[in-house]
Amino acid sequence: MTPLSLALAHSLPEVILAVGVLGLVLYGALRGKASDGPVTEIAVGLLGAAILVILLGFKEQAILFDGAVIDDGFGRFMKVLALIGSLTALVMGQDFLARERIDKFEFPILVLLATLGMMVLISAQNLISMYLGLELMSLALYVVAAFNRDDLRASEAGLKYFVLGALSSGMLLYGASLIYGFAGTVDFAGIAAATQGHVSIGIIFGLVFLMTGLAFKMSAVPFHMWTPDVYEGAPTPVTAFFGSAVKMAAVAITVRVLMTAFPGAEAQWRQIIVFISILSMALGAFAAIGQTNIKRLMAYSAIGHVGFALVGLAAGTQEGVFGVMVYMAIYLVMTLGSFAAILSMRVAGHAVEQISDLSGLAKNNPLMAFFFAMLMFSLAGIPPLAGFFAKWYVFNAAIQAHLYPLAVIGVLSSAVAAYYYLRVVKIMYFDEAAPAFDPPTPALRVVLAITSLFVLFLFAYPALFIDATATAAKSLF
Amino acid sequence: MIAALFFYLFSAVLIASAFLVITSRNPVHSVLFLILAFFNAAGLFLLLGAEFLAMLLVVVYVGAVAVLFLFVVMMLDVDFAEFKQGFMRYLPVGGAIGAIVLLELVLVVGGWRVDAASLANVASPAPPAMSNTLALGRVLYTQYAYLFIAAGMVLLTAMIGAIILTLHHKVGIKRQDVAAQNARTPKDAVELRKKSFRQGV
Amino acid sequence: MILSLSHFLIVAAMLFTIGVAGIILNRKNIIVVLMSVELILLSVNINLVSFSSFFGDLTGQVFSLFILTVAAAEAAIGLAILVAYYRNRGSIAVEDINLMKG
Repeated sequence: MTPLSLALAHSLPEVILAVGVLGLVLYGALRGKASDGPVTEIAVGLLGAAILVILLGFKEQAILFDGAVIDDGFGRFMKVLALIGSLTALVMGQDFLARERIDKFEFPILVLLATLGMMVLISAQNLISMYLGLELMSLALYVVAAFNRDDLRASEAGLKYFVLGALSSGMLLYGASLIYGFAGTVDFAGIAAATQGHVSIGIIFGLVFLMTGLAFKMSAVPFHMWTPDVYEGAPTPVTAFFGSAVKMAAVAITVRVLMTAFPGAEAQWRQIIVFISILSMALGAFAAIGQTNIKRLMAYSAIGHVGFALVGLAAGTQEGVFGVMVYMAIYLVMTLGSFAAILSMRVAGHAVEQISDLSGLAKNNPLMAFFFAMLMFSLAGIPPLAGFFAKWYVFNAAIQAHLYPLAVIGVLSSAVAAYYYLRVVKIMYFDEAAPAFDPPTPALRVVLAITSLFVLFLFAYPALFIDATATAAKSLF
Repeated sequence: MIAALFFYLFSAVLIASAFLVITSRNPVHSVLFLILAFFNAAGLFLLLGAEFLAMLLVVVYVGAVAVLFLFVVMMLDVDFAEFKQGFMRYLPVGGAIGAIVLLELVLVVGGWRVDAASLANVASPAPPAMSNTLALGRVLYTQYAYLFIAAGMVLLTAMIGAIILTLHHKVGIKRQDVAAQNARTPKDAVELRKKSFRQGV
Repeated sequence: MILSLSHFLIVAAMLFTIGVAGIILNRKNIIVVLMSVELILLSVNINLVSFSSFFGDLTGQVFSLFILTVAAAEAAIGLAILVAYYRNRGSIAVEDINLMKG
């Protein structure tokens, strides 16, 4: 039993976000204006403060609040990624929301609440805190997906996401209740102890239901149906948020649950992970080919990339978890950069989202075309860009774990997927010029430049990044 | 014996009303059967000794959630007559899948075993000679305080979300502004003028 | 006749199946889909409370309490999204949710 002061000090990032949200709700409500004013800036400040606190704070591991929360290296690493995703999505989206006239002060508040849910989720140490974190995140996400409430496509996206999300959390809960019943505890460490040696059929059933729910949140096949529609229908800043921060939290909790609560059932869950990983990679590669909308393309790309990340998890080793973490970090950077480019696609004040609108971008805006092309090359996994290293680490872990078929299928589907990324580059460089885009806002320029320089030059000095990830990965073992 | 009798009564009505929730032609009937299902589930909770949750189910679900459903069904004002079509088309497939899932689940939960060793150290044992509500309250605000606060944040999210999605500020409506009303003094509102007698204003 | 834990678990399993079937079979009305989700959550609660009661452990009941809280929040948000959708589309039939495909 830790004293409350120590527990609060360990969860200072969560406390900052929670108290900040309450303050902002009061401020926004008393201010009496609908527009967001300084609320977005304050929210960005709170997220930045949380990142700083995590980076400068505790380095040792602790289990807090009677086993509800764990503060460890893995959790801190994934939390920083999620926070960076939320922060960048907020910064990038401000201008877009203002132009669409949906820049209400509730938007940054809901993003903060969703981020708070992600933090609870990532550091969950029992099934109850996992469920509450997941629902806090999801409920805020359902609302931001439908945030443009006068737009039919946005409200349809919100409705679809809600119905399928509610079904999946019902599945997850039924699984959690079976696990509680057959293991006698909700604590991850306790479940691990109960599954040592012999795994009862009830726990396996519970695990399958649980993984159904988690696969839905990660948008892994066969629970991906919502992804393209929600990516397309939701306002673009929301899509950027879905593609970056939310993926980090969902993958983090899946890794944590499988590695810390079910090491005894590894033989069983590995089959499932291999299965959904192969399906996700294949669907991500093939279904994206015929897309004309860039946001839908990014959705199928996200499905494929989750499949690649799960290759590392299927290995089930420390190298595998390390691979997943490297993959997610690099994927976060690539996604944020791509969405910075997509948010800049604006002709005469109106947002456009067809791939053909990018035609001839190299003539109109060579620098933006170059940066975007680098991100596309990186997503395709072409060396020496960062995306190549991401794939290299997960495939390496799979080969060390003797999962040769999985690695081969992964390489093949990444070759297929390269086709549509390269097609985007070809359209930008070799097609007839479409109308030029409006000049992007400074925030978008900065994000696009930083992200593409990161993927371009990571190979030159990877040590700092790789060491930090390796240290964080150790904490799960 | 009495307990078993009530168990079968509550479960039979629960299952039957749950079935009617998904098959009723009229959504209002569905909501009413949902309420019936909740009442019977509360009965099952009572049999299990979870009095507090049984009461909570009635208060929160029947009192708030089901009424909310009823509100929305009435508000949306949709045509009930056409709702039945399409159900039969998917019934064979859906029924078959449902039957298989049910059979598997029954086999699994029917074989429930848990070793006594793991039960020796449960996380929050129910203290004997203490009412269910008191026992829950003792752990809820201590052992589970973190989760309790997280649940509060979930409710805050729901409130903000429901307001932002459905509240429409109409322009051109006169609203009461209490502060402005209180700030009004006789000096602003009443004007006294000396007028000379028998002359117009 | 003694009531065993399995009795309660089987009732919960039946309820869960009905809830899932309700979501799959329903083609006309989203509100019934939301009610089916409530049935699923109810079945989970029955599971948890019966385990909790047979273990003599309050954890299951606390879990169930939080599920009740979240389910109420979920219903509120779901219905709010539904109302927003109905305002735009004028229909709540499942078949009509088809604007985006591919």
